[in-house]
Amino acid sequence: MTKQTAYEKPIPLKTLDNHEYWDAADRHELKLQKCAECSSFIHPPGPACPTCGSPETEWELLGSDISATVYSYIVSYRPFLPGFQHELPTVITVAALDAAPDVKIMANIIGCDPADVEIGVPLKMTWVDVTDDRALPQWMLARK
Amino acid sequence: MSTYSNQCAIVGVGENQRSRKSGTTPLHMALTAARNALTDAGLEAKDLDGIMNYSTGGDSCPSHELATYLGCHPKYVKDISGGGSSTELLIADAVALIEAGMLETVLIYRSMNGSSGDKVGRGYDPDMLQSMLPGGSFIMPYGSASPTQWFGMFANRHMHETGITKEHLGHVCISFYEHAQRNPNAFLNGKPLDMETYLATPDISMPFNIHDCCVELDEANAIIVTSASNAKNCKSKPVFIAGMAPRTTHSHVHYWTQVDEVAADHAAADLYKSAGVKPEDIQVASIYDCFSWVVMRQLEAYGFAKRGEVGDFVAAGNLKMGGSLPSNTAGGMLSEGYTHGMNNVLELVRQLRHDYKGTDRQVKDCELGISTGWAGPDIAGAMILRN
Repeated sequence: MTKQTAYEKPIPLKTLDNHEYWDAADRHELKLQKCAECSSFIHPPGPACPTCGSPETEWELLGSDISATVYSYIVSYRPFLPGFQHELPTVITVAALDAAPDVKIMANIIGCDPADVEIGVPLKMTWVDVTDDRALPQWMLARK
Repeated sequence: MSTYSNQCAIVGVGENQRSRKSGTTPLHMALTAARNALTDAGLEAKDLDGIMNYSTGGDSCPSHELATYLGCHPKYVKDISGGGSSTELLIADAVALIEAGMLETVLIYRSMNGSSGDKVGRGYDPDMLQSMLPGGSFIMPYGSASPTQWFGMFANRHMHETGITKEHLGHVCISFYEHAQRNPNAFLNGKPLDMETYLATPDISMPFNIHDCCVELDEANAIIVTSASNAKNCKSKPVFIAGMAPRTTHSHVHYWTQVDEVAADHAAADLYKSAGVKPEDIQVASIYDCFSWVVMRQLEAYGFAKRGEVGDFVAAGNLKMGGSLPSNTAGGMLSEGYTHGMNNVLELVRQLRHDYKGTDRQVKDCELGISTGWAGPDIAGAMILRN
């Protein structure tokens, strides 16, 4: 395999509200924001809880063994952002976490034949190192 | 609750020539559309005391600028950031201000170089998207920057749940393309579509091929709303605003995670209540059609076909002339042109005025029509018009 010289795709921008998520991703872990009042998970993270409006939020570490199922997906045949022209077609999914089905995480399903993807299939989270200090959560089809 | 009760009417509609490359600015196009709407209504620019506009990412021209070059000084100008549903929502604002006695006559417009300028479907600068869109950092890194991808995600889930097939989507496209062949101003006039061609066209983002996507163009549309009493002084036949409903649901504007319940489901109940009518009373429709599937989900939401039966409903030709719900009779955004929903409203007004009487484009004797706006599963706005 040839090593990619430069990562062309967009790298997640860390912000005041979301950096805990991306900092954990860089360590190959999933960390979700949670409401301290109503205990709902908050994803994507924000300044308050969208379920109850409480500004009291905390973070919960879910670790590195993350499973989910495909809620929906698309197979995209055109690149709309830099870098994706090298990897067509691109499979993008919204997957419901087994541990918290209300939380759905969007990512690509990497290393798959698009024909093997369908709604309901099991997925496993993986992390791809995209630069020296940044990693991106991705999904892979779970082994049967 | 019936706050709308036909106290306001649409008395003028107008547009500019739509094209792939206008060679001019949104201000020039908006001026043409506004002047055409004024002529249609038999009004002058000085009769306008309100002007409103919506845009995405500043792709239009401000209302105050339009007023300046129409040579008028309205009491009130308003510019909002919005897309689908904004036509209906701004008309609702105009109705409220007119009924409150603050204004008498309001012009609402949408102008965009949607092909030669900022083209939604082509995508935007990724860093801008990440900082502009709520949750953008959780979407862009995965290559999802185009509405074909965002809407496709939910089309696939809904189609999986309800048995809608690719061929069903094709029936929506074919119905609207058929209407475009009767409309000389439709961009795809002269380019009819059949099922064989539709099914043979490769996908851009599954389940959508190019025919499932609206035609992005350079164009401007304008609508004039006034009080029912003032409508009597206008040249045109008034089309009354009989009901209106806005709604938001989902927590995030772009990070959509479910499509079981959409804003249109809720808007529908409020809409029919406000107008005092039922879905079966509607004779002509303008259904927001940025993508073919969006029409399917709205037919379900607004009660025209039951969940699970929408595919059969469109396959039976119900959206065509002579069907139970002739829809987007100018060709819709799929084949006439895309002005973020406003061109569909212009057509609905013309149908209800019987402007096409004596031709095969007129929905015979129609008196009651619906216009639905859809920004996403999260935002809807709809209205019922009567002649």
